[in-house]
Amino acid sequence: MSKGFRMAVLVKQVPDTSSVAGVNPDGTVDRARAKKMMNPYDKYALQKALEIKSAYGGEIIVISMGPPPAIDILYEALEYGADKGYLLTDKQLAASDTLSTAYALYNVIQFLGKVDIVFTGLQTTDGDTAQTGPQIAERLDIPQVTYCEELEINNGRVRASRVIEGGKQWLDLPLPCLITVANSAGKIGHKRFANVYKMKELLRDKESLSKMVFVVSLADIGADPNLTGLAGSPTVVGKTWKLGEIGGSCVMFKGESPAHEVELLVNRLIENHCGIEELLK
Amino acid sequence: MNQIADVLVIAEQIQTDLQSISLELLGAARQLAGKLGVGVQAIIMGHNIGDIPQTLIHSGADEVFVVDQPELAEYTTLTYRRALITVLESLPRTPHIILCGATTIGRDLAPRIAAYFKTGMTADCTELDIGDYEHKSKVDPSKIGIYHNCLYSIRPSFGESLKARIIGPWRNPQMATARSGAMEPIQPDTSRSGNIVPVKVNFQETDFRVKVIETIRDVASNVDLTKAKVIISGGFGLGGPEGFDIVRDLASVFKDSAVGSSRRGVNAGWISYSHQVGQTGKTVRPELYIALGISGAIQHRVGMGKSKTIIAINKDESAPIFQYAHYGIVGDLFVVVPLLKEQFKKALASAGRG
Ligand SMILES: Cc1cc2nc3c(=O)[nH]c(=O)nc-3n(C[C@H](O)[C@H](O)[C@H](O)COP(=O)(O)OP(=O)(O)OC[C@H]3O[C@@H](n4cnc5c(N)ncnc54)[C@H](O)[C@@H]3O)c2cc1C
Ligand SMILES: Nc1ncnc2c1ncn2[C@@H]1O[C@H](COP(=O)(O)O)[C@@H](O)[C@H]1O
Repeated sequence: MSKGFRMAVLVKQVPDTSSVAGVNPDGTVDRARAKKMMNPYDKYALQKALEIKSAYGGEIIVISMGPPPAIDILYEALEYGADKGYLLTDKQLAASDTLSTAYALYNVIQFLGKVDIVFTGLQTTDGDTAQTGPQIAERLDIPQVTYCEELEINNGRVRASRVIEGGKQWLDLPLPCLITVANSAGKIGHKRFANVYKMKELLRDKESLSKMVFVVSLADIGADPNLTGLAGSPTVVGKTWKLGEIGGSCVMFKGESPAHEVELLVNRLIENHCGIEELLK
Repeated sequence: MNQIADVLVIAEQIQTDLQSISLELLGAARQLAGKLGVGVQAIIMGHNIGDIPQTLIHSGADEVFVVDQPELAEYTTLTYRRALITVLESLPRTPHIILCGATTIGRDLAPRIAAYFKTGMTADCTELDIGDYEHKSKVDPSKIGIYHNCLYSIRPSFGESLKARIIGPWRNPQMATARSGAMEPIQPDTSRSGNIVPVKVNFQETDFRVKVIETIRDVASNVDLTKAKVIISGGFGLGGPEGFDIVRDLASVFKDSAVGSSRRGVNAGWISYSHQVGQTGKTVRPELYIALGISGAIQHRVGMGKSKTIIAINKDESAPIFQYAHYGIVGDLFVVVPLLKEQFKKALASAGRG
C-alpha cells in the first residue's frame, strides 16, 4: 500500500451568523450584508482528516462548490494543514438543491481519481439538510458513516463510532467510504504558524498557488450541466415567509410589583382554562 | 382507481422498540392522505418485530409492508437501503409521498434513497401540507406549469427568509423527513384494520460492507423532552450553570416536567446538549412551555413554537420571544420565578388538591 490515505474534505462557505454584520436581532440573516465563513460543521470534518493524516500519513484535498469568493475557505483549510484545494464554480450551478449539489461534488471527486475517504460536515448552517454527504455516497456506491465521532484505520479497515438516539454505535467497514463528522467530535486545533506563513507566501506567488488550489468549471470536470443547478434540481423553494408576522398576541404583564404581575398571570391562566391545575403536582 | 398514489411512511424501530417518530409520521400521513383522498402505507424493517405491524395499523396505516429477516436485526445503511429499495420497487405504483423521521437513522437512510430514485427530498420539516404550485421560472422551460396535489415541505430556512415551503412536483416519490415531536400522532384505535404484506429481500454481498461491532444505548439517560407535558427552559439570561437550579426548582412543582435550554445555554457549557430545544436541538410541543431568560431567536422558536401555552419571562420588553409567547412577564427572572412558584402552589391549593 502506498503511504497513507488520500482524503477529500468537502467544505462550504456560509453566512457568518456569529458576526453582527447582516444578522438581525431575531437571528435571521441578511445574505447580502452578512460576512462569510467556512461552515462551522466542516471544521470538524477537516479536523478528522488532519488527525488521520497525522496518524497514518496521506494527502488532504479540500473541495468546495460555490461562487469565486469561496476560494477563501480553501486557503483557510490550507492554513489548517490541507494539501490541495478545488473550487467548483460555474453559473449553471445556481439554485442547486442537495441532489444536484451531490451530483456536482461527486463529479469533482471522480475527477480526482482514487480517494480513500470522503469527509463532509454533518450539515451546513445555511442549507442545513445533512443530505449532501449520503447522496454523494450513494452516487459513489460506497458505504458511509454519518454522525461519526471517532475513527481509526487498521489493516485497511475502518473502525468508526456514530451517534444514535440515546447512545452510540461502533462500526467496521472497508475503504473507500464517506464519513459525515458529528459536531460532538474533536474541535479543530490552532492553525500552524508555518502553514499560515506559507499561505501568505503563496498568495504572492500565484504560480505556485495555481499548483495547489484549482478553480474548475463543470466542463473541466466533465459533469452534465443539465443535472446541476436549477435544471438538475427536483425541488424548488416555492414560498418563504417570516414567522414573526404571525405573532403579536402576547398578553403582557409588566409593572412596579412583580408579585402583583405574577398573580395576575396565574389568575389569567386559570380563567382561560389552560389546564394548569392538572399539570401541577 | 384513484390517480394519485398513496402516502408511505418509513417506520423505525431500534432493538424492536417502535420509535415514537413512526406514530407521528403516521399522524401526518393520515392528514396528507385525507387531503389527497388516498391511503396510508408503512414499511417496517427489522428482525422479530412482533406486533409492530399491528400497532402501525392501529395508528393510521392501511397497509404495512414488513421485512422481518435476521440480516436486519441491527440498522446498517446498506442492508436497510436494500430492503427499502426492494419493497419500493415491488409496489405496483410509486408512492406519491414518502415520509421518514429526521432521526440518526432517517437522516442516514432517506437521502440515499432519494439519490437512488433521483427524486427530491426536504430535510427536517416542521410542517407538511398539500397544495397547488405554479412554476414560472424560465430557466428550465420543461418545468413550467401548474401542479396540483404537491407535497408542501415546510421548514425553517436561514437564507434570506425564515420559513420556506419546498416543493418538488415533477417526480414521485416526493420525499421529506420530519423532526421528532413536530407532527401529531392520531389516537390509536385497536379496531382499525389493514393489510399486512410480508416482503422477502435478497441481499447482495456488497450490502454487508458495514458491520456493527457494538451498540451502546442508555435509554434512561436520554432526556425525553419530547414526551414531557411541561417544559421549563432556561437561556443565557440565567447567567451561569447555577441558574439552572432555579429552572429545576420551578419544574419541580409540575407532575410531568422536563428542563430545556437554548443553544447559548448549552454552548456555554451550563447544561448538556440533550436539553437543547430548537433547530439544532429537539422539537417539542408540550402543554406548557416556560422560557426563562431566552431571547427567542428564530432557531429557538422553530423548536417550541407549537407548544400549547407559552409563557416568557424576560427583562427586555423588546425580546423577540414576546412576539409569539401567549403570556409574558417583563422582569428579572430571579425575582419573578420564586414568586411564580408560590403563585402556582396557591393555585393548586385553591383547586382543592394542594
Ligand atoms: C444554525 C443555527 C442553529 C441554531 N440552533 C439553535 C437551537 O437549536 N436552539 C436555540 O435555542 N438556539 C439556536 N441557535 C442560536 C440562536 O440564534 C440564539 O443565539 C440563541 O437561541 C440565543 O439563546 P438565548 O436566548 O439563551 O440567549 P440571548 O439571545 O443572549 O438571550 C438572553 C435573554 O435573557 C434575557 N435576560 C438576561 N438576564 C435576565 C434576567 N435576569 N431576567 C430575565 N431575563 C434576562 C435577555 O434580555 C435576553 O433576551 C442557532 C443558531 C444558528 C445560527
Ligand atoms: N456547496 C458545497 N460545497 C462543498 N461541500 C458542500 C456543499 N454543500 C454541502 N457540502 C458538504 O455537505 C455537508 C452537508 O451539507 P448540507 O446537506 O447542506 O447540510 C456539508 O457539511 C459539506 O461538507
